[in-house]
Amino acid sequence: MTTLARSTAAASHPPRRPRRWPSVLSGFYWLLILLLYVPILILFVFSLNAGTSLAFPLKGFTLNWYAKLFDTPALLDAVRTSLIVAVGSSVVATVLGTMIGILLSRFEFRGKGLLTGLAVLPLIVPYVVLGVAMLILFTAFDIKLSMATVVIGHAIVGLPYTTLIVLARLVGSEPQLEEAAMDLGATYPATLRLVVVPMAMPAIISAWITAFTVSFDEFAIALFLAGPDRTFPVYLYGQLRFSNSLPVLIAAATLLMAGTLTLILVADRIRRR
Amino acid sequence: MIRRGSGRTTDPRRRTFLGLALPATLALTLFLVAPLVLMVTLSFRPELTSDLLGPFAPTLKHYEQAASVGGSWQLLQTSAVMAFVVAIVATALAYPIAYFLAFRAGSKAGLYLILLLVPFWTSYLLRVMAWKLMLGNAGVINSVLVGTGIIDQPLTALLYSRATVVVTLIYVWIPFATLPILAVLGRIDVRLHDAAADLYASPFQQFRRVTLPLSLPGLAAAFLMVFIPTIGEYVTPLLVGGNAGIMFGNVIQDYFTKSANWPLGSALSVIMLGVTLVLVVVGLRVVKPRRLLGQ
Amino acid sequence: MFARPLTPPRPAVLLCVLAMVSACSTPAASTAPTAPPALATTTPTTAAVVPTSEPTCSPEGAANPDTTPPDQVKGNLSVFDWSGYEDPGFWTDFNKKYKNVDVKFPAMGASDADIYNGIKTGTNTSDVFHPYTGWLQFYVDEGLAEEIDTTKLKNWDKVPESFKALGRFNCKQYFVPWDWGFSSIVYRTDKIPKIDSWAALLDPAYNGHIMMWDDGPGAVTVSSYIHGWDETAITADQLAQAKTEWTAVLKANPTTWAGEPDLIAGFKTGDVWAGYAWQSAYATLLPDLPMAYADPKEGRNSWVGVYGIRKGSPNYDLALRFLDEKLGAATGEYLVNTWYFGTSNADVIAGITDPTLKKAFSVNDPSILQHTNFTPNLTAAQRDAWIAMWSEAKIAAGS
Repeated sequence: MTTLARSTAAASHPPRRPRRWPSVLSGFYWLLILLLYVPILILFVFSLNAGTSLAFPLKGFTLNWYAKLFDTPALLDAVRTSLIVAVGSSVVATVLGTMIGILLSRFEFRGKGLLTGLAVLPLIVPYVVLGVAMLILFTAFDIKLSMATVVIGHAIVGLPYTTLIVLARLVGSEPQLEEAAMDLGATYPATLRLVVVPMAMPAIISAWITAFTVSFDEFAIALFLAGPDRTFPVYLYGQLRFSNSLPVLIAAATLLMAGTLTLILVADRIRRR
Repeated sequence: MIRRGSGRTTDPRRRTFLGLALPATLALTLFLVAPLVLMVTLSFRPELTSDLLGPFAPTLKHYEQAASVGGSWQLLQTSAVMAFVVAIVATALAYPIAYFLAFRAGSKAGLYLILLLVPFWTSYLLRVMAWKLMLGNAGVINSVLVGTGIIDQPLTALLYSRATVVVTLIYVWIPFATLPILAVLGRIDVRLHDAAADLYASPFQQFRRVTLPLSLPGLAAAFLMVFIPTIGEYVTPLLVGGNAGIMFGNVIQDYFTKSANWPLGSALSVIMLGVTLVLVVVGLRVVKPRRLLGQ
Repeated sequence: MFARPLTPPRPAVLLCVLAMVSACSTPAASTAPTAPPALATTTPTTAAVVPTSEPTCSPEGAANPDTTPPDQVKGNLSVFDWSGYEDPGFWTDFNKKYKNVDVKFPAMGASDADIYNGIKTGTNTSDVFHPYTGWLQFYVDEGLAEEIDTTKLKNWDKVPESFKALGRFNCKQYFVPWDWGFSSIVYRTDKIPKIDSWAALLDPAYNGHIMMWDDGPGAVTVSSYIHGWDETAITADQLAQAKTEWTAVLKANPTTWAGEPDLIAGFKTGDVWAGYAWQSAYATLLPDLPMAYADPKEGRNSWVGVYGIRKGSPNYDLALRFLDEKLGAATGEYLVNTWYFGTSNADVIAGITDPTLKKAFSVNDPSILQHTNFTPNLTAAQRDAWIAMWSEAKIAAGS
């Protein structure tokens, strides 16, 4: 690792980096964004299409599907359920993941490899298997299926992501700040609260967003563990066997996305003020 | 590492240790280990019954049956190879995105990141159905290519092939793979870049000598995050793989949903879990994460 | 990547073997030609049907429905149904009549296996469940279904006898038939002039343009029709031959369909010329494309969905009312007009006026019904073997 040997720098600075670098990178980014949003654009077009199947040619413009969407309480309930489950499970996954990240990067103990393996294990197990296994567990102990069971399932599923993200950040960081804090008399919990967590906050937020995203569209586990309140993907899947429902579902999906996008842009505007 | 001793007898952080360790261990044991143990025992049950905790006479017949399904070993290997390719390419392509967000996007980085993730709040099922519209024989890509005369016949291999599955998976994973890399790049002190520049390092050297080594933990995390679940992937092959793009996860899913033979499905899952674990252990030995994780 | 794929809503059909059916039927003949949709109870010519020594069942008691005013009926009912069937349109008669009963759908299944597994392991404790022919024997054998008191069903007389017989085992009524349909080949007449045999699905002339249903028992059933095998006794050699043939079909064609939207989209893009399909796909495509629904010389296949009451359910009376209203006219019309599935309420079928739907249900052509096939009961071993065969065919096709 090079040292900060500023004193040896010559008086004249080296030439600036060539200008083409930023545009190549940002071009790549925007290309990916384009690729990500084209299917969504297609979906949007079909949500306005009078026909009921996802094939060309288009059959004429209509706003009926959007109107019908608000007439379908089951669909709106499903979206609400998805939001609640995603928020609940992502918070749990982030908290637990941060705890495990701190444990693995700041402590030495015998079960370390085991804990790492366990935290990462949900990634290895196919979701359908995990779902069945948890269903068996809840059945064996007579726990009724509900939103809570889905939250548990999604929290477990999100845990490897949150752990890995927070851990990757904590591991590289030097512990001097924490040692300094403790030298100055702070207890370890206070150090965690005032030094470690704020320092890792970008990673924690990144982890939370990941866990939220994982949960919101997760289906395999939600199907097994859902009680009377169904999440949106489960509802969607149930409706997909009926070709007639397709346009309303597409309308719902595009609306959800448009809503999210608007929220983000507005939040960003507010943040910038 | 903090050299204040282990979390054992004299470490003043012992209470914190317990406070951190207990909830995590409890959650993992109750909701991860217990269900998996139950599932493994299910694979040894002669058949599915209503009493899932009771005693039974263990049998190996499901494993024998699983082993005798022709071609499944090869399919498992193929799935692992596909997962590996997807993980490598997705991580490699995610890196520039993460780099862009960390060092070039400036104040808009948060916004750009969210832009990247918002599509994932649309249903994956529907997005892939739309993706199929683009790739089909009469789809957008083929229509454009044929219409402009670049080719005469539509490219049939765009959809319902193994390549489709790999490309779709890469495309889906890139935004996710960006996150751990970004988390690590974000903590690189930009002054290190300046220092390198001051020492007359070219941008490429700066990248190779400063940024890349510091970001390796993130790369390793991203790779693992993509590789491991992709081995067991079944949804994408089912949607766009067609008859040629099948993966091992599809076989397991078939048994769990189309037949009442959960013990056999459990046996297949145990086999796949075992293979994945072996791969991970081997992979970790090669990549030497202890060094990466600074231990 | 986290979603589960579409699985077909109903598997291959099954029905009691002819002998059992005719033995259990009442003196009112099951082959009465005047009652549409009188599903014929003949099987393919080569099937060796072994008459059993079942006694003739005594005739059903006179209808004696409850006269309690609906508003005074209170309680909770839980239903274990296929995803999507919680739509109130599918139980609209009950919904409108019994306003003080709370109906819940605590969990949904996506396949017969799901439903069976749920009831069998006790993870699902709903009062009412919705399996399909092919899977009924297991519930009866394992004591998972309650006997149904048909005298309390005021709509029971609208159900044709052949349908009633489907839910009858050992002369006891365990299931109420509800939805039904055909399985056959739907094809574009502008690409293929005529299909008159199931063998068209294996025909290399149509390579690249055939879309088969992703279902093992369905595939074995088709093979048995083509080769004239006895479905009750498929041998290992026959299964191996079926596997070879289907592997070839899977290799030569891009994909199969797990849900009808896939099949329909395939036809609309022009890639698919012929596919294994239910009449609902035919009815959906007919307005837009030149389509025909084959009447193969081996006979079409037919499936029926039924409702049963879970043994041990505390809401037997409510469940019975639910089943009764399922047979109601409004529910039946919803099924027929919105989803193009058949209802076992014969009056509703007789009242169809839409020409597309009449074609789809072959209402005007009783000869089709007369040689429609019902597969015999699947044993667990057969079901597992057939699913395994299909799985292996798919693996072989992908390598």
